[in-house]
Amino acid sequence: MWDLILNPFVTILAWLYSALNQDIVLAIIVLTVIIRVLTWPLFAKQQESSRRMQQLQPQLKKLQEKYKNDKEKMSQAQMKLYRENKVNPVGGCFPMLIQFPILIGLYQAIFFALAATPFQLVDLSERLLIPGLDSLIPLQRLWSPIPQLTDLLPTLDLTLAPTENPPYALALPLLVLITTWAQQKLTMSMTGQKSSKKDDDDEEDSNPGGQAAAMTKSMTTIMPIMFGFFSLSFSVGLSLYFVTSNLIGMVQYSPQGRRVLERVFGGKGDEAPVEVVFADDEPSPKKPRRSKKKKPRKK
Amino acid sequence: MKTSQTLRLALLLLCLFSLTACVGGRMGVSWPSVGLIDLNGEQHIALAYNNDVALLTPSNGLPARLLNPVNGQPLRDNDGNPRSWIFRGSDNGGGQFYAQPIPIDSETMLIADNNKRLLRVDSVVVELVRAIPIEDKVVASMLAADGVLYVPFQDGGLGAYSLDGFHELWRVPTEEGIWAKPLLVDDSIIFPSLDHHLYAVDRKNGAIQWAADLGGAVASTPLLANDRLYVGSFNKRFFEISLDGVILSSYETQNWVWGTPAIDEDGFVYLADLSGYVHALDAEAGLALRWSQQIAERGIRAGPLVVDDRVVVASRDGKVYWLDRYDGALINAREVDDRPELLGDMLLLEPSETLDIDEPLLLVTSMHDGRLLIAFGIDGRQTWVYPR
Repeated sequence: MWDLILNPFVTILAWLYSALNQDIVLAIIVLTVIIRVLTWPLFAKQQESSRRMQQLQPQLKKLQEKYKNDKEKMSQAQMKLYRENKVNPVGGCFPMLIQFPILIGLYQAIFFALAATPFQLVDLSERLLIPGLDSLIPLQRLWSPIPQLTDLLPTLDLTLAPTENPPYALALPLLVLITTWAQQKLTMSMTGQKSSKKDDDDEEDSNPGGQAAAMTKSMTTIMPIMFGFFSLSFSVGLSLYFVTSNLIGMVQYSPQGRRVLERVFGGKGDEAPVEVVFADDEPSPKKPRRSKKKKPRKK
Repeated sequence: MKTSQTLRLALLLLCLFSLTACVGGRMGVSWPSVGLIDLNGEQHIALAYNNDVALLTPSNGLPARLLNPVNGQPLRDNDGNPRSWIFRGSDNGGGQFYAQPIPIDSETMLIADNNKRLLRVDSVVVELVRAIPIEDKVVASMLAADGVLYVPFQDGGLGAYSLDGFHELWRVPTEEGIWAKPLLVDDSIIFPSLDHHLYAVDRKNGAIQWAADLGGAVASTPLLANDRLYVGSFNKRFFEISLDGVILSSYETQNWVWGTPAIDEDGFVYLADLSGYVHALDAEAGLALRWSQQIAERGIRAGPLVVDDRVVVASRDGKVYWLDRYDGALINAREVDDRPELLGDMLLLEPSETLDIDEPLLLVTSMHDGRLLIAFGIDGRQTWVYPR
């Protein structure tokens, strides 16, 4: 089943390798860009959902205060609020669930395509779906960041971990860590999730938006460390993928990048206001974005 | 942070770890290597895989006992148990073994490991005498001839070392690794490389005599028969090559050909590919097709064996197949328990007094720790399994 995702990726990577003058690093970068761009609509949907959830936070807090002694009523009121605002509290998860196997598939494709041992290479024989790619095997595994400066920056073996490569390869896990952190930070800022000290634990526990914010906050710290740690023991080729993927993520989160992608995919503008509809029994607060000063009628 | 939140975070991290760990599911280097070696006049099965190199008794698959060379009595460990011929990498600097050991005299065995070392082992007491650093990892068996050891390196190059002092005599670089045992033909060493070439070099100085471009990676030792070389490549072709490196004919297969082919007395060559097909070609008629059958659900990595009127293959689907060599009809299929992938080369032991077996034995290797080596009779009956 997993092969249905993995094998096309391995094949496309090998094809790109062939098309790009047998440059595996370029092939990894181009494939990562293609996949990240193609999964943009899913990604945008996830971000939109998070943003809408964030905008409902003040109302959710009020509902919690109002029904703090009646969990059932609180739950009903929350659902009503979600329904009236056409927000699915777990809506952000579905696009992510679809994206996740794709990104893992891409990551595994790089691992399999860069097979360095007999045991890894024998797997590749069942994964290439286009005839003619077999003659490319094994794919190039040596790479010079600057071919003119091989004395200063010796060739890297993409199949080996940074610790088994020349010492400067250790910069890669650091780059993975920094770019993962930067991407996480941008994610938080674009979805409007800020770590608020006012949110106490109880509130986080009963409020889905608060939980998400707390989770994102924790992930901002843990994910970069975790991926940096992975990169120390995984092959250099995978570190290149992580860095590329993070950089593309950062472009996607940047306002300019989002505008370009929205133009391509015809998505909703990022700054489009979310009109919050309030539950019937809730007093409608002032809508700061929409509020217009009433002009005095001319008599 | 509340407990539930911590749990959720832990769960998310666990998911991430598991998903990334899926990649590491196949972190092994290679498959077991099996061969027959002569040690002090006795023939043993040599099995090298991962942490261990073991010598086994052909008749029952038990590890060979260590004997006192003076009185012939079993050597015992500190607890009084008889000692077996098993060389463990974990006790000797963490070696990993995928290549056949080479006995160089009655007391010395040479073992190449995957940690860039040549190990000189006292074969009487199975203890490491000396570890000689070499330039690269070794994943294929070495060749020893006339006092010279030819070492194929996993990441590229063939090195020649003198057996007396282990100093390097010459080294031939290749762009990619050499994953098959070199072949000695007259004064030439012939070896394949993943860089798509089959090379012939002068055994004395390593000068390249010819290099045939086969259009795809080559990972098997060629078969030498009738002054011709027969070898397959990863570009789904099988070749007949003259001893001066000229491609005489070729045949298109369904997938990569990785194993060394077999030939019968009628001049038919049998090969298998990684789509599970077995092909029979007429070597005397420019590799004309006799028959071709898809036998297995998954690929066949190892080369076939010809046993009497049958061709035997072992597949990644965990089964061993016996075929009629005249038409490829399936005669018998035997499933190994738990269906582990059968990737290693097979070995046929002919009945003999030295081996103490009275019927042919077919040895098949798997990567299942509980059945690394399985011995079958000619009729497909399982005779013994190592380890028990």
